[in-house]
Amino acid sequence: MKKNYGPVYSLPLGLWITIFFIVPTCIIFIYSFLTKATYGGVQWQFSLEGYKALANTSFINVVWITVYISVISTFLTVLFAIPTAYYIARNKHKNQLLLLVIIPFWTNFLIRVYAWIAILGNNGFVNNILVKLGVIDTYIQFLYNQYAVILVIIYTYLPYAILPLYSSIEKFDFSLLEAARDLGATKAQAFFKVLLPNIKGGLATSILFTFIPALGSYVIPMLVGGKDSMMLGNIISRELTTTRNWPLASSISVVLTVITMIGVLLFLKLNKNNLESIKKLVVREKAGEESI
Amino acid sequence: MKGSEIRVENVTKRFGDFVAVENASFEIQRGEFFSLLGPSGCGKTTLLRIIAGFEDPSEGIIYLDGQNLIKILPNERPVNIIFQNYALFPHLSVFENVAFSLRLLKISESEIKRQVEKYLSLVKLDMHTKKYPSQLSGGQKQRVAIARALIGEPKVLLLDEPLSALDAKLRQHMLIELDSIHDEVGITFIYVTHDQQEALSVSDRVAIMNDGEVLQIGTPHQIYESPADSFVASFLGETNFLRGRVNQVNEEYAKIEIKELGELFVYLDKPLKINDVVKLTIRPEKIRITKQMPENLPDKFNVLHGRVDEVIYSGFQSKYFVKSGKFSFKVYKQHVNYLLDETPIKWNEDVFIWWNVDDGFIVEVEEE
Repeated sequence: MKKNYGPVYSLPLGLWITIFFIVPTCIIFIYSFLTKATYGGVQWQFSLEGYKALANTSFINVVWITVYISVISTFLTVLFAIPTAYYIARNKHKNQLLLLVIIPFWTNFLIRVYAWIAILGNNGFVNNILVKLGVIDTYIQFLYNQYAVILVIIYTYLPYAILPLYSSIEKFDFSLLEAARDLGATKAQAFFKVLLPNIKGGLATSILFTFIPALGSYVIPMLVGGKDSMMLGNIISRELTTTRNWPLASSISVVLTVITMIGVLLFLKLNKNNLESIKKLVVREKAGEESI
Repeated sequence: MKGSEIRVENVTKRFGDFVAVENASFEIQRGEFFSLLGPSGCGKTTLLRIIAGFEDPSEGIIYLDGQNLIKILPNERPVNIIFQNYALFPHLSVFENVAFSLRLLKISESEIKRQVEKYLSLVKLDMHTKKYPSQLSGGQKQRVAIARALIGEPKVLLLDEPLSALDAKLRQHMLIELDSIHDEVGITFIYVTHDQQEALSVSDRVAIMNDGEVLQIGTPHQIYESPADSFVASFLGETNFLRGRVNQVNEEYAKIEIKELGELFVYLDKPLKINDVVKLTIRPEKIRITKQMPENLPDKFNVLHGRVDEVIYSGFQSKYFVKSGKFSFKVYKQHVNYLLDETPIKWNEDVFIWWNVDDGFIVEVEEE
């Protein structure tokens, strides 16, 4: 009888996740049902005030904007990431190109967001050029709206979307595309019927890697967003630091967590058929091995 | 006859400085089983990919039933290919792999089912239709690939080394099946292979390629028995080469003087002049080997005396390496009845080797 060392091996990670993820989440969950103390913090007295405050249209609106911005940004990010990853995977100089994808990580995230402000600001690079060229008389307001937020989210998470797609496209057998073409598929049909189903894993990862952090965006809407692009992360921070209503900040956090989980579960359910067929395949293969 | 005729006209394909196919021209007849045979890198696969539409020729035209094929997109060519690695779609079941081309045509479900079943039974794979390619053996994958390529009823089927991934025994079996499938569907097959046995055993005609050039086209019998040059002779099975100088020519035969060996007669299949330096070839299985000097031989035989240098016994035959002069001859002897034969020839024995003059061929002539 072989000893099962699984629990022992998973102990360090299990402890880490428990202390730094599960426990804090529980604390937030508990705080959301407590009473607000005068100067921040909580009083240990049950209350539903944190949730009652959510039932107003302006909050619902923020939820809607958060989901809207995240979905649009994720869609566009992945849309740009697929051809980029495809191009890199088929290029002779893939290592150099991959390096280019990773280079932005060498600079601090905040500095990169400020760089966008320098580029798109009213007195920024683009406006200056356009004015000098005589295309416009006075500056265009690029920043402090939804579009700026979506643009910077796409910019930030594009590498995270490209890398998993790259790794699955790189493993893809391109003779399958030729086979599809040979059997009568147009280029587009070959792409949708053969390439996409075979890189599903990478596609799913890149969608989740973009969508989850986009939902929790806080710095980007704060720095380049405006009134129309206030996201959940921003009001959590406001309640936590300015208004000092910790139960409310907690209840909003719980809402954000729930939305994220709904998004992920919904997505996994769409992919369920896939997962099941993979599971069945594994089971069948095991059975096959045994029968031999 | 179903299928189409293909005419390849002056096709050249360059990749940068590298010439993959050089000025290839030939015709393939309706319903023919045509093989492109050559060592790896000889351009045979490139030629096949040009016919399939995955590559454009740098020069030249390919006609299918008189129609220029070059401008037609690969998905619109009435030509299907079986890839070396089969290229089955891993995300689709056997049934869906075979149904792939029909699904693109928006055909009714019942008709698709009927067609898929028909072609799966043609390749003897009625079971396993719900399995995925990763669950199939090499031979089964091969069958799926054949069914998938044939279901669109192409006029020409291209096969790119389809058996190279199978083990020797299965390869033999699949080869016979391919041949019977060819008989059954009756379309034109273009078969690319580097294996001369495969090409010889199933093809109606074979084109031998080397370094991008088509060297000879003919029936298996023609290319084996009268190879056009020394490459064709040595690529198709084993052979012996000898170099010598012509010192006598009559209507049918030439007498070649070979240094340190003697004089040999050879059939005159090319015009020769006295003093030409020639390379002649004789297949090992055409040479007979005996301990005694053969008696009552007509003039049409070359006889040499030698000593057995090496014997390799392999059941149905023995390979003898016979040293005569400074030459080593390969001689294959079939054991029709080993025990009743004359006493076996052993290592280091003195022997006579002899062959019919008509079995020798001149493969190269260097004029002086």
